Amino acid sequence: MAGKIVLCRCEDMTLADLEHSVSRGYRDIEEVKRYTGFGTGPCQGKECLAVVALQLARITGQPAAAIPPFTSRPPLAPTPLKVLARDPGAHVFADEGGTARTTRTQGDEVDD
Amino acid sequence: MARRLPGHDAVRGEAVEVRIADTSVRAYAEESIAAAALASGTRVLSRSLKYHRPRTFFCFEGHCSGCLVRIGGVPNLRACQAPCAGGTEVKGQNAFPSAEIDLLGAVDFLFSRGMDHHTLMTGSSMLNKLANKVVRQLSGLGKLPDHAATELPEVHRIDVDVAVIGGGPAGLAAATTTATAGRTTVLVDDQLRPGGSLRTDPRTGRTEAEARWSAATSAGVLVLARSTAIGFFPEDDGGVLAVSAPDRLYRVYAKQWIWATGGYVVNLPFPDNDRPGVIAARAVGRLLVDHGILAGDRVCIVEVPGVVADVTALAAALTTAGAEVTRLPLADVVGTRGRSWTTAVDTRDGKVDCDLVAVAGTPAPASEGPRQQGCRVVLDAVAGGFRVVVDDHGRTTAPNVWACGDVTGYLGPAAAAADGARIGANVVREGAP
Repeated sequence: MAGKIVLCRCEDMTLADLEHSVSRGYRDIEEVKRYTGFGTGPCQGKECLAVVALQLARITGQPAAAIPPFTSRPPLAPTPLKVLARDPGAHVFADEGGTARTTRTQGDEVDD
Repeated sequence: MARRLPGHDAVRGEAVEVRIADTSVRAYAEESIAAAALASGTRVLSRSLKYHRPRTFFCFEGHCSGCLVRIGGVPNLRACQAPCAGGTEVKGQNAFPSAEIDLLGAVDFLFSRGMDHHTLMTGSSMLNKLANKVVRQLSGLGKLPDHAATELPEVHRIDVDVAVIGGGPAGLAAATTTATAGRTTVLVDDQLRPGGSLRTDPRTGRTEAEARWSAATSAGVLVLARSTAIGFFPEDDGGVLAVSAPDRLYRVYAKQWIWATGGYVVNLPFPDNDRPGVIAARAVGRLLVDHGILAGDRVCIVEVPGVVADVTALAAALTTAGAEVTRLPLADVVGTRGRSWTTAVDTRDGKVDCDLVAVAGTPAPASEGPRQQGCRVVLDAVAGGFRVVVDDHGRTTAPNVWACGDVTGYLGPAAAAADGARIGANVVREGAP
């Protein structure tokens, strides 16, 4: 261990990485996410978003309320693909006679 | 060293055996694999993505990435959300040859001042090609499952008056209130057993969690345990909440929505704060009051002022259970020591020997679900992060969407329960049935 202050454990993003990002001009929370990779691991920011945002406010001297969160997208938690495989309306890949083709599962909400 | 305390056998369930990293371990049916692993001395479970720093348990509530393991040939499962069924085969991942002795850990020392992957090995095109070959071998999380899924989860549709997301003190109270008033109510909770922070606080504990869960069920609430809200899709039929459970997918449609997702435990920024043996204070509380496991004999609590009452209660309970407890303000901590497990905390004045560091930060509101439903949030240091903005009645800025408990700013279990009951009553009074 080398004395790192880790802010995002999923992606090994440190306080020094955040400071470096800001020094390079990437100071918007979305830019910091893209530059450092924080918030893009298995926890999707559950452990790190608030911590990074509050540190970003401190480093850049902005009031906390001026810093928005990054965009929240589904899935909110790691989800096995099989969970979505039978969703009505979802496309399902079926392998018939060696040819993969797309079919639809039965579902009453499908209208197109 | 973590150990099981006597007098908790009834809540542990029957004795079972699980295999963790090729070693047979005594466990109990009601324990999570993470709790059993910790109690049996397992320390490192995997390695981190970039520097290959050792990784293990931190939050014990299924939200961090610390305890990802391979269970029964399936990668990237959280050990803290997996029950100990007999014969379960658990393996670490992301390390060579093993999580405990990972040769790739050298990366951490080679890049002790950090690694900027934007400029790493980009100077020479030949070096860049070589570096990319190596990186492709090293990166990624886990390996593919042993077998393809044979049975696909079923899809169920649920139509209710009220959907409550989160089964902690606030959610259970809100759902019980709406169901008692005759509103059809579903409650979604992602943990092995509902109860949320009630199961982590010595002032409430397992008994109160079970009582409130059972009150909700008796009132007619459809309680879905081990069920995770994975996304809100507004474009679908007035809005659908997708909920993932081990054997099915629920499509939930509701007239009124109540977010009671609480707050996530967070780590605090101090050097080597990710060393194994540094775990969330709330996890230490959960192990003690919900599992009857004392996580360490000499516990050093690193804390911030916002949670002083919670830390005081936890420290007292740990002391009663036989641990030696030291409390340190975050500002005094300058580092941690140890190899595969923490042995001391360095402070401004010296060092404190310990076998566990419990980190007590203000929980961060779990507001990313409400954000998907269009609720405004605001970053607020006192609230612990991005709290959902609500009016005096608990209404968010999105129509028919309400929020209560810690997701609106940290309250703690007792106040969150009271808030949940209040907002549940408001939904009954003001929400269109």
